Amino acid sequence: MHSIYARANGISGLWSTCVMVLLGAVALSSFLFNAESKGSLDIVSLKVFHSKTRRYPFRNEEIGFVKFNLSADLTPLFNWNTKQLFVYLEAEYTNAQGVNNTVVIWDRIVRRKDDATIDIIQKEKYKLRDLSGSFSNVLPAQYSLKYSVMPYVGVLTYGEAARTMKAIDFPDARDSVS
Amino acid sequence: MFSDELKTFRRLGFRHFLLQILNFASVITSGLMLWKGLGLILNTESPIVVVLSGSMEPAFYRGDLLFLTNPPGQRYHTGDITVYRIPGAEITIVHRVLETQDVFIPFDNSTENRIVNNRLVKLKPPPGEHQLMLTKGDNNHVDDIDLYRGLEWLDRRHIIGKARGFLPYIGYVTIAMNDFPQLKYALLGGLGLLAVIQRE
Repeated sequence: MHSIYARANGISGLWSTCVMVLLGAVALSSFLFNAESKGSLDIVSLKVFHSKTRRYPFRNEEIGFVKFNLSADLTPLFNWNTKQLFVYLEAEYTNAQGVNNTVVIWDRIVRRKDDATIDIIQKEKYKLRDLSGSFSNVLPAQYSLKYSVMPYVGVLTYGEAARTMKAIDFPDARDSVS
Repeated sequence: MFSDELKTFRRLGFRHFLLQILNFASVITSGLMLWKGLGLILNTESPIVVVLSGSMEPAFYRGDLLFLTNPPGQRYHTGDITVYRIPGAEITIVHRVLETQDVFIPFDNSTENRIVNNRLVKLKPPPGEHQLMLTKGDNNHVDDIDLYRGLEWLDRRHIIGKARGFLPYIGYVTIAMNDFPQLKYALLGGLGLLAVIQRE
């Protein structure tokens, strides 16, 4: 311990060990917070139109447009290790061939506790489109609001905040100009 | 400057030099064993990745470290953060799953597809249960179709893993070494020299 090299070695070793233990403790502290959040979700209107997407201009497809009424209080999820919350509204349905689909139609990033209450009536961000191009053979869909907590250091956790009471059927497709 | 070291070198002999190289090699290979062993346990090609682009901001910035797992039987859900690589592309992309579809592709015994449309055969997934996915970065406005190089959906086999844990900033060293390759060579050269010259 009498040369600069040995001293630098010792200090940097101790420093890196302390930082690693601190980060590990912060990551573990996330498991102490078992907060859950509840909310309510209603679908105001769901319309299906014959339409063409800009990406596939030659395909005749049925596109679903959803308007939803969402209110959720996500403040219990914010603790000292929460960097941001990613909330997303998704539709889950099974079509007649038995294919399970889960589609995200709206999402939002919540970065502060003050912004964590959501009370909106809004349209979807991402339009509903089925792999087969048509909603006529599709079973009714359940809509749910899920969230993902992103920590400063540690494990990413997921949860569900709200769900529609019953499954909602897809209406028949209409032509857009009517 | 190095005269002391050179003198002790000559005293210890050539055998000692070879021993030092062996020590160095054993350190490197044990590190490699740990890395590959971790990849085997977690069933992923690279269990720790560095975020390279800013397309997931403000969640992940360039230089953040992600810990991945890829359990073979587990379904991926929307909202999961996946790291995938398109065959033919070199970079891995870290984005969030936007849509998933569980499809069953029946076994196709016909040869017409193979002859008529070569490109279709390459893009068609093998028969069986498949989970098709569409991804999007949080900071992008549109989903990743343009990055898929012709594929419409991502298949499970393109995915390296799902992000479970997160460490900020640590990976910036890797990015700096990629952007300035001289730094990489200087670091490796310095480490090699130090390992060989030191007596312990």
